[in-house]
Amino acid sequence: MIAPLIAFRNIFRHKTRSLITLSTIVFGCVALIFAGGFFEDVYFKMRESYIKSYTGHIQIFKKGFLEHGRTQPYNFLIDDYEKICREVESIKTVKFITPRFEFSGLVSTGENTISFMGMGVETKNEKANNEITNNLRQSSNNLTVGGVVMLSGEQFKESETYSITLGKGLAQAIGAKTGDGLVLLTNTVNGSVNALDVNVKGIFYTSSKAFDDHFMRMNLKTSQKLLGTNAVQSLVVMLNDTSNTKITLNLLKQKFSSQGFDLELRSWEEVSDFYNQTVTLFNRLFLILKIVITIIVILSIFNTMNMAVFERISEIGTIMALGTKQSGVISLFMYEGLFLGILGGTIGLFAGGIVTTIISSIGIPMPPPPGATMMWLSEPKLIPSMFVFSFTLSVLTSIISTVYPAYTASRLEIADALRNK
Amino acid sequence: MAIVSLDNVRKEYLLGKTALLALKGISLKVEQGEFIALAGPSGSGKTTVLNIIGCFDKPTSGSVSIEGRPITELSNNQLAQLRADKIGFIFQGFNLLPVLTALENIEYPLLNRNFLPSERLRRAKEALENVGLGKFAKHKPLELSGGQQQRVAIARAIAGQPQLILADEPTANLDHKTGTEILALMKKINQEKKTTFIFSTHDQKIMDMADRLIKIWDGEII
Ligand SMILES: Nc1ncnc2c1ncn2[C@@H]1O[C@H](COP(=O)(O)OP(=O)(O)OP(=O)(O)O)[C@@H](O)[C@H]1O
Ligand SMILES: [Mg+2]
Repeated sequence: MIAPLIAFRNIFRHKTRSLITLSTIVFGCVALIFAGGFFEDVYFKMRESYIKSYTGHIQIFKKGFLEHGRTQPYNFLIDDYEKICREVESIKTVKFITPRFEFSGLVSTGENTISFMGMGVETKNEKANNEITNNLRQSSNNLTVGGVVMLSGEQFKESETYSITLGKGLAQAIGAKTGDGLVLLTNTVNGSVNALDVNVKGIFYTSSKAFDDHFMRMNLKTSQKLLGTNAVQSLVVMLNDTSNTKITLNLLKQKFSSQGFDLELRSWEEVSDFYNQTVTLFNRLFLILKIVITIIVILSIFNTMNMAVFERISEIGTIMALGTKQSGVISLFMYEGLFLGILGGTIGLFAGGIVTTIISSIGIPMPPPPGATMMWLSEPKLIPSMFVFSFTLSVLTSIISTVYPAYTASRLEIADALRNK
Repeated sequence: MAIVSLDNVRKEYLLGKTALLALKGISLKVEQGEFIALAGPSGSGKTTVLNIIGCFDKPTSGSVSIEGRPITELSNNQLAQLRADKIGFIFQGFNLLPVLTALENIEYPLLNRNFLPSERLRRAKEALENVGLGKFAKHKPLELSGGQQQRVAIARAIAGQPQLILADEPTANLDHKTGTEILALMKKINQEKKTTFIFSTHDQKIMDMADRLIKIWDGEII
């Protein structure tokens, strides 16, 4: 086939110009592959840190809690939770399940009294990190189960019924430090008032400032003691992999309804408004980036192909005089555009993959997202769909931007074109 | 039957608001196998006449027939096919495609015919041998001298064995000796293959090699 051959060789006639055009396409691919990987990493880290530090993958409540829990927090408690835990733990995709109790009350140093949110946890699974590290890569990964990093002091042990840890903001608000004694005051589940003397074992922070400003953590047993119950409020299920959320959720629903458990379930997605909004926002930003890149690539190829047509007027006249039809002239340029796109796209894929891998291995230190407290390290991922997208975009834009120049070329008057020297 | 017949062909160019009459009623019959020179000074209308015979420029009025078939009613695609099938072209500036080798250049117009690839290649090779450049098949035009390039162009014109070859000042970009050789080659092909040649020139020596001389002056045959 001579037409594709001519088209292909024509690409290399103006090496510098083709190089610039190819660079534009390659740059576009790299930008897309990198940005796509960057955003995906943001989504991933945000999602995982949110899940690990707070929501878990799936939350289990007594039926009715989600609707009425806000006004009657103690009317929907789970009594037989140990049995449920055993059931859930037998599922392959489940890493562990842990009970929680969230409640509110007043905390007093003697001088100051303010309201607080309490969270009773089992330390077995919800470990805290006792090391603060300057290594961002490590600290990004540090946000493990429980998602808590100790600022001072240490995590309470399972046996320590009268120890709590304070969120950084809450500690500042009442002016408490590690080692201080505090009095907690709450309503029990029956409506009577209960108080407990506790000791501040440490001060923690998480990825969420709002959490640190209001919460204190304690053993589940401690919270149950305060509230005068043996039940728990929720069970948090952590999975081996976030992608298993949907199957596990359905499996649990089936299991619970067939075994007659009176429970309701909620996945992390339903409580992650902030995550969902961020994804929407970033996807919109990414769309704008895609559009800008598309326009740049189109203009660049359009310019190149227009110049090519302009320079080859006499050649176009010649081949048309020799019997090449208008469609033949069009296809000659379309092939050239197509090859430019394929060539640029292919180089772009490799360049994008390499650049993203290198940057990812170095990592980009990022400021905390809104409402969060920790610096983190962006490690852009290689996303197969972005590779497909970039390549398709390169080829499509190349073809699209060649249509008009190719059409102009085919409409040249042969006699005029031949006189053009 | 005349292979080319022009009847009272006029060609007008509009330059802004003034009309320029480039051809003022040209009538001409060319028989199969003729070897014709179209002579005249610069701007007299030689190129315009050849373009009209070559079916890629349309007269403002008058009629043109190739092998007795009027071409005025034909579409662009039909005209392109007619050129591919019946007419070979040789240009003053050789007009080879710079990205193609000599052999590929010769093959190129054959793509517009219904030849098998092997037949295409055979014809191109044969034509290249005929112009004495068998050894230069793989050379790109820029690696060849002007005379060699024009020989390749001649090979390109004859490879499809057209009845008619049009050459607009084929020797104007060549030195005198090479020009004469090129014309001798055209003459040889004309005699061996009975191919009709119409070429334009304003070189007296070249005109003298023609069997028939048509003189144009200011858009008219004199
Ligand atoms: N596209 C055009 N627009 C306007 N005028 C034109 C055009 N093409 C040719 N002409 C005019 O038509 C006349 C004939 O031109 P043509 O090129 O046929 O002459 P020629 O004999 O081939 O001249 P030369 O020996 O310089 O090649 C000239 O006056 C030229 O300026
Ligand atoms: Mg001329």
